[in-house]
Amino acid sequence: MAKMWITMGPQHPMTHGLWTLRVQVDGETVVDAEAELGYIHRGVEKIAEARDFTQVTPYCDRLCYVSAMTWSNSYIYAAEDLLEVEVPERAEYIRCISAECQRIASHLMWLGAYGPDVGNLTIMTWALREREMFLDLLQELGGSRMHYNYPRIGGVKRDIPPGWADRLIAKVKLFEKRIDEYEMLLDESTIFLVRLQGVGYATAENMVESGVSGPNVRASGVNYDVRWSHPYSVYDQLDWEPAVEKPTSVKGSDCYDRYRVRMEEMRMSCRMILDAIEKIPGGKNTTYSNGDEMIIAKAPTRAPAGATGFSNYECTRGASQFYVHGGGEGRGKNPYRLSIRSPMFITIPFVAETMIGYKVADIPAIMGSFDPCIGETDR
Amino acid sequence: MGMSISAEQNAAAVAAAVTASEEAWSALGVVAEAVNHSAGHGFAFLRLTVPAPHVLTVAKGLKHDMGVNYCSMVTGTHFPEGDEHRGWEVAYHLQRMPVINPDPNTSHVLVAGDLSGMSMPIEIEMLVPLPQGDDPRVPSVQSVWRGADWNEKETWDLVGIKFDGHENMFRVLNPHDSPEGFHPLQKQHKIRYHDFNEMYDDAQGFVRKPVDEGRVK
Amino acid sequence: MELPTVRSLVYDNLGGVIVNLLDGTPLEGQAEAIAAFTGALITSLVGFAAIMLSMFMILWIERKQLGRMMDRRGAMTSLRSLWIGENGTTAGAWWDMVPFIGKPIGAVNRWLNASFGNHDPDRPTVDRVNNRSWMGFAIFPGFFQNVADGMKFLIKEHMVPERADKLVFEVAPYLVISSTVLILGLIPMGAGIYGANPELSVLFAMAVFGIAPIGVFFGGWASNNKYTLIGGIRSAVQLTSYEIPLLLTVLSVCVVSGSFNFVEIVTFQGQSGAWNLFLLPLGGALFLISMLAEVERIPFDMPEAEAELVEGWWTEYGGMRFGLLFAAEYMRTYAACILFAHFFLGGWHAPFSGVWGDVPIIGLASTSIIWVLLKAWLVFGVVFVWARVALLRIRTDQILEFGWRILLPLSVINLLVAVLFRLFLFDPAGVVEEGLGNAWGLGIFAYMLPVIVTVVSLGLFFYLLNDEDKDASPERMFHVRTLEPAGTVVPGTE
Repeated sequence: MAKMWITMGPQHPMTHGLWTLRVQVDGETVVDAEAELGYIHRGVEKIAEARDFTQVTPYCDRLCYVSAMTWSNSYIYAAEDLLEVEVPERAEYIRCISAECQRIASHLMWLGAYGPDVGNLTIMTWALREREMFLDLLQELGGSRMHYNYPRIGGVKRDIPPGWADRLIAKVKLFEKRIDEYEMLLDESTIFLVRLQGVGYATAENMVESGVSGPNVRASGVNYDVRWSHPYSVYDQLDWEPAVEKPTSVKGSDCYDRYRVRMEEMRMSCRMILDAIEKIPGGKNTTYSNGDEMIIAKAPTRAPAGATGFSNYECTRGASQFYVHGGGEGRGKNPYRLSIRSPMFITIPFVAETMIGYKVADIPAIMGSFDPCIGETDR
Repeated sequence: MGMSISAEQNAAAVAAAVTASEEAWSALGVVAEAVNHSAGHGFAFLRLTVPAPHVLTVAKGLKHDMGVNYCSMVTGTHFPEGDEHRGWEVAYHLQRMPVINPDPNTSHVLVAGDLSGMSMPIEIEMLVPLPQGDDPRVPSVQSVWRGADWNEKETWDLVGIKFDGHENMFRVLNPHDSPEGFHPLQKQHKIRYHDFNEMYDDAQGFVRKPVDEGRVK
Repeated sequence: MELPTVRSLVYDNLGGVIVNLLDGTPLEGQAEAIAAFTGALITSLVGFAAIMLSMFMILWIERKQLGRMMDRRGAMTSLRSLWIGENGTTAGAWWDMVPFIGKPIGAVNRWLNASFGNHDPDRPTVDRVNNRSWMGFAIFPGFFQNVADGMKFLIKEHMVPERADKLVFEVAPYLVISSTVLILGLIPMGAGIYGANPELSVLFAMAVFGIAPIGVFFGGWASNNKYTLIGGIRSAVQLTSYEIPLLLTVLSVCVVSGSFNFVEIVTFQGQSGAWNLFLLPLGGALFLISMLAEVERIPFDMPEAEAELVEGWWTEYGGMRFGLLFAAEYMRTYAACILFAHFFLGGWHAPFSGVWGDVPIIGLASTSIIWVLLKAWLVFGVVFVWARVALLRIRTDQILEFGWRILLPLSVINLLVAVLFRLFLFDPAGVVEEGLGNAWGLGIFAYMLPVIVTVVSLGLFFYLLNDEDKDASPERMFHVRTLEPAGTVVPGTE
């Protein structure tokens, strides 16, 4: 059969979002692949030039809607760098805990979407069921289940509600047992292993050359993590280590390695949460009122022209960076330029290259294992 | 406790990078300085201000001599009211990541306290000011870092800075049939759409206002 | 008292009525033929109606079991879900509404929830995750959902793609659906309940079963769509290649039973004293796996894999054609379950029917449609649905490798075993009309051979079930590879 181009997308059950993947196939083998992005480009960078620093936070939630808390935190760190604000420690702890809860929820969403990609519909209902627990927790903090608008420049909007810590501990402990059940379903299934192992090789150096970072690189055997290399928040005070996988081939990590890294990351996040909630200054059962100095510091609202702020943050899918220029409209109330670095924007073209040489049926397996989220890709 | 790079390690690494940069490129007019973040842990990063013609030299030097293997962000900014040497600015954010392929069945575990020299992760900000005008051009670093590829496409697409030597440039975020010369993040494009009635002429949202005919889809 | 059967009603009584009616008319000469034809028509329709109505049971089982398994903890069906309540409300509140038996059942339900539920008053949101109540109200909750689903297809639009090959596009679904329905007419549902019973009915049924791949391929090609083309090709390849282990397995059953006729195969199992599953367990497993592939269920549903191909070769069909194709998949599944019940589980015989053949009521019930249905539904629930819930899709080339390289040799071995059993270990004197058969006794006691075979097979199964030691190998645990790892193919060079 001759080579033909198949267009997957923009509307397609597999693509985890709105983008087009064009593959050229020769029979069942993929010969070439091209990614086309930009379908949900909403112009966040331009919009931010017409908003206050505080008003930009909800937009950043909507960048990667599956992992909203990490993205708004990432922006807030850049804004604090620009405005030179010192954040109280309790607020940093709360941000850390909420970010790790969000990381778990995002990985569960990934797992819930990845299962149907390779054919297992059961894991979707199980993973989303557990995700409900974390969404409930984050809802208590931020007010809504997905777009929280929770961090503020200088701290967080409100303190952890009474009893939240107990609920958090109960749910995290329950969840740790549930992860074992997922592994029982998936890891002990020969079909799962046969579908995922040996598929989608990518080496660590190749990935870093191409701008990929985060769990995808840790799956290839190097435990680089922004949380320890360019530390922010309170990660150096918590008992944790980055989850890293040992690839079995010199060709790099396959889909199975990337799957395993995310499972281990979920476990590690549980550990971090349980540690942090005990160490939080002020105690886990006290609730400070809004605006209290324990949870938010006074921050200037204007930044002079010429000042810049930059944040390097470990998002769920890689390293996200925000670069903010001061001196915008309103005599510096608005940012002059907000530049957003999305890990997935760089990863998706890389993945399109990775698919070459494998079968059409491997496309969802490979694509899903890199955990694409188009909201942050297109901004 | 969780490991992390300490402030001293970071300061030493950045200082070493500053020295190395000055030795290599100060003759070209490159200014290297160690700048601290103003919040959080206050770590330092290397800021290089590079004149446009020397971008490729500096990039190659960073990659081969200083082990900078990760190009994470390329930002273009338009300063129509800036001084004449800085009408546009391209900011490259780069990192050195100590990543090497591990042998099969092993993992390359980095221990933060043991890192030093070329295996210390550092952040680098390379600022390239461009003169005022309508035609900002910068040599492309696509051949140096593959990660710069799509970043440069995005910068051209949104800001309009042209990258000389970039192969296969195309619109990545804006639609493919956007008008030639339309780069939304330039400052002459004002954000004026605040609600539906300002954007569209009819109730269903099919017809744009007459001012926008042919300019915006 | 002998209950009148449908056949006696139709052929004897109705046939007589028709003959009398046509007396004196010009059709008098053909009255017998017309009566026979009418009789055949009515019995087929009755049989078909019975099967179709009972097929709704299959859909209901799938829906309910799927829901339980997918949302519950662990891979086992949780019976707990049938009574667990949520935040104080239990299903008992709904049961109370049912007249007469409702209140006691509701009370039992509340007690079960209080004693075995997982209720924690301090943690209402954890509760919400753990316990989802079964708000079933009616006596048969959710049963008519599937009827409604089927009817909704009637009001949907029938679209034909603009550049599709219209004739082939329209014909393809009919090939698939009609061949499926034809098989259902041949399969007996009880001792005298069948649409037709030719002497080589098994052969005919299998031949008709194999028409479906043609229809699938036609549909995939005619839709003028790259996705459906790939789906249609994958499907045709998969179905054709799994026909062979299927036919060899069916052949082994026929060899053991000595006939190509459904009714005779089932009666043989009753008369000889052993169900074929205990004689040919490998054959049973092979039959089930091949049937899973033939009806394109997960783990073999790559041709219609949502993730890549949206719906595979059905993508372009709308309205009732899609509805019938969807139903045809379930009809084929149902036919497969009933076939398994007939071939391997003794059809309409109760377990140990030879022992209590003379016991009243139970003995009477031992040759009826109820047993066939129960066995078919059990097979469906235990094998087909459970496999769908727990397993994933296998890639097409892996499916083909599995079919040709593993199933085919195993089915040949199975055939060999069947031939050996029939030639050397079969005692024709042990086949009895009623009572305890003793054909496989090996002279020691009845059922000797099946017992040996079952014990050996179970032993082998549990031995193979154990995973290797996880810490033994320095490589990753659960190390599995296909023959040729993916990514080694350089396109254009094969």
